[in-house]
Amino acid sequence: MASAAYPKRELYSPTLAEREDVMDSALSGMNNERFRKARRRLLLQAAYRLLFIFLFNSCLNYIFGPVPFENRFQVSIAFLLFLILPVLLDFWVNWAQARKGIADLGQVGKMSKEELASVLNRRHSMGNEISSSKPYIDVMHDQIGDSLAESEREVVEVIQQISTLNSKAFQQRERIAASIKSGRDLTESTQLRVENNKQIIAAIAMQFEIQIEEFRNNFERVQGLAGEVGSLTPLIKVITSIAQQTNLLALNAEIEAARAGSAGKGFSVVAFEVRKLAVLSTKAAADISKKITETCRNVDREMAAARASLEEHEASSAIGQLVGDLDGMQSDFAKNSQLLLDVITEVDANYAESVERLTQALGHIQFQDVMRQRMEHVQEALRGMREHMQYMAQKTSDFVWDGSFDRTFNEMLEAQKSKYRMASQTVTHLAVAGGQSSNTDDGPAIELF
Amino acid sequence: MAMKVLVVDDSITMVMSLKTTLSMNGFEVETAANGQQALDKLNAGCKPNLIVTDINMPVMGGLELIPKLRAMPGLKFIPILTLTTESDAAKRDEGKRAGATGWIVKPCSGDDLIRVIKKVLPGA
Repeated sequence: MASAAYPKRELYSPTLAEREDVMDSALSGMNNERFRKARRRLLLQAAYRLLFIFLFNSCLNYIFGPVPFENRFQVSIAFLLFLILPVLLDFWVNWAQARKGIADLGQVGKMSKEELASVLNRRHSMGNEISSSKPYIDVMHDQIGDSLAESEREVVEVIQQISTLNSKAFQQRERIAASIKSGRDLTESTQLRVENNKQIIAAIAMQFEIQIEEFRNNFERVQGLAGEVGSLTPLIKVITSIAQQTNLLALNAEIEAARAGSAGKGFSVVAFEVRKLAVLSTKAAADISKKITETCRNVDREMAAARASLEEHEASSAIGQLVGDLDGMQSDFAKNSQLLLDVITEVDANYAESVERLTQALGHIQFQDVMRQRMEHVQEALRGMREHMQYMAQKTSDFVWDGSFDRTFNEMLEAQKSKYRMASQTVTHLAVAGGQSSNTDDGPAIELF
Repeated sequence: MAMKVLVVDDSITMVMSLKTTLSMNGFEVETAANGQQALDKLNAGCKPNLIVTDINMPVMGGLELIPKLRAMPGLKFIPILTLTTESDAAKRDEGKRAGATGWIVKPCSGDDLIRVIKKVLPGA
C-alpha cells in the first residue's frame, strides 16, 4: 500500500524526522512509558525474589545447620526456577502485548515503513484533534455558565424592580389610607360640630324669638305710654285757659281796687300777685305743653325706628340661612366622605390586582431556576465529555492500548437518564436518543400528603 | 400579626422571587441558602409558621433537612412544603417519608403557591 493512498491532514503535517522518530519509537517499544514502567517493575520483582532466596537459604542454614553444597545448589536452583519463572512469564506477556500493540498499530511485517509512518501520522493528528477539543468544550461550558450568571443577574434585577414597585405601591396605598382616615375623622368631627352648632343656633333662634316677642310687648307698652302722654295735651290747654282767665280776673280786680282808692290798696296788691301767678301759670303751661309735644315727637320718632327694626328682625331670615348652610355643609361632608371611601376602595382594588399580577409574574420567574438546573446538568455532561475526549487523546499515543474504554459515549448517554431531575429532561432525551426510561412519571405539580 | 415563612433554597432568584411573592401577600419571610443555614437560623431562635424548602441544595439538601426539622422541639407539626424541580415519584415518596407536608414542582405559579400555603396554614 503506497503512502500516497493516505492524504495528509491539514491540521498536522509532521516532518520526516518526526515521522521516523515516531516509527522508531513504536518499533522499539522501549520508549513507551508503559514499557519503561513494566521494565522497572520487573527489575524490582527480580531483586525482591533474589533477596527472598538469600534470606531463605540463610533460614535453612540456621534451622538445619550447614547443608551440603550439592543439596544447597539443587534447592536454590529449584527455588530460583520457581520464583524466576513467573517473572520471565510476566515479562513475556508484557512483551507479547507490546508486540501485539505494535503489530495492530502498523501491521508490522505487512506494511512498508512509509505506510506505517502514514498510519502513525493520522493517529497522531487524530490525537491532537481530540486533545484540542478541550478548550472548545471548556469555552462552551463557560459560555453556558456565563449565560446562566447573566440571566441570574438580570432576573435578580427584575425581582428587585418588582419588589421596589410593590413597596412604593404599598406605601402609597398606606398613605392614601392614612389620608382617608384623617379625612374621615375630620368629616366626622366637623359633622359633630355642625350638629352642635345647629343646636346652638336653634337655641339662639329660640332666644331671639323670645327677645323679639318681649321687644314687641315693650314696644306696645311704650306706645300705650306715649298715647297717655299725648292725652295730657288737652289738660295743658285747660290749665292755660284757667291761667288766662285768672289773669283777666286779676286785671279786673286791680282795676276795681284802683277805683276803690285807698280802701282798695290792699286788694290791689293781692290782685297784682294773682295776676303775676296767672302769668307764671300760663308760662308754665306753655312750657309743659312744649315739653309734652317735644316728648311725644321723640317717642313717635323712637317708636317709628323701633317698629322698623322690629319689622326688619321679623322679616330677617339670616339665622334660617345659617341653619340651612350648616345642613348643606353636613350634606357636602357626607358626600365627600363617600367619595373618599370610593377612592380608597378603588385604590385597594387596584393594589390587589397589581399584587395578583406581580405574584403571577414572579411565579413565571421560576423558569430561570429550572433553566439553571438544566444548564448545569448540560455543563456536567460537557465536563464528562471533556474528560472522555482527553482519555481518547491519550490513548491515540499509547501503542499498547488494546482499544477498550473505561466508558463509552453510549454508556455515558445511558447514564444521563438516571441523573435527570425533571420529567422534561427525560422527554427531551428520549425524543433525541430514543429508548425508554422509568423517570418519566410526571405526577401532579402540587401534591399534599 | 403576620405569619412567618422560612424559605430554604440555594438559588438566589428563587429566594428573591419567593420572598417578594410572600411579602406582597402579607407574610413575613426569613431565608436560608441550604439546610444547614436553616437549622442554624432555627437554633438561633427563628420561629416560622411554615417552611418552604428546595430538595437539591449544597451542604444539606431538603430530604436530609426535613427529618432533622421534625426532630426539633416545636417543629414536629409545622407545615413543610418542598418546592423542587424533582418530579420523580420515588423522590416524592422519599419526601413524604421524611415528613414533608406537600410536594410542589417548579415552576409553580404564584397564585397556586399562595393557595397551597393558605390551605396548609389556616388563618394565613
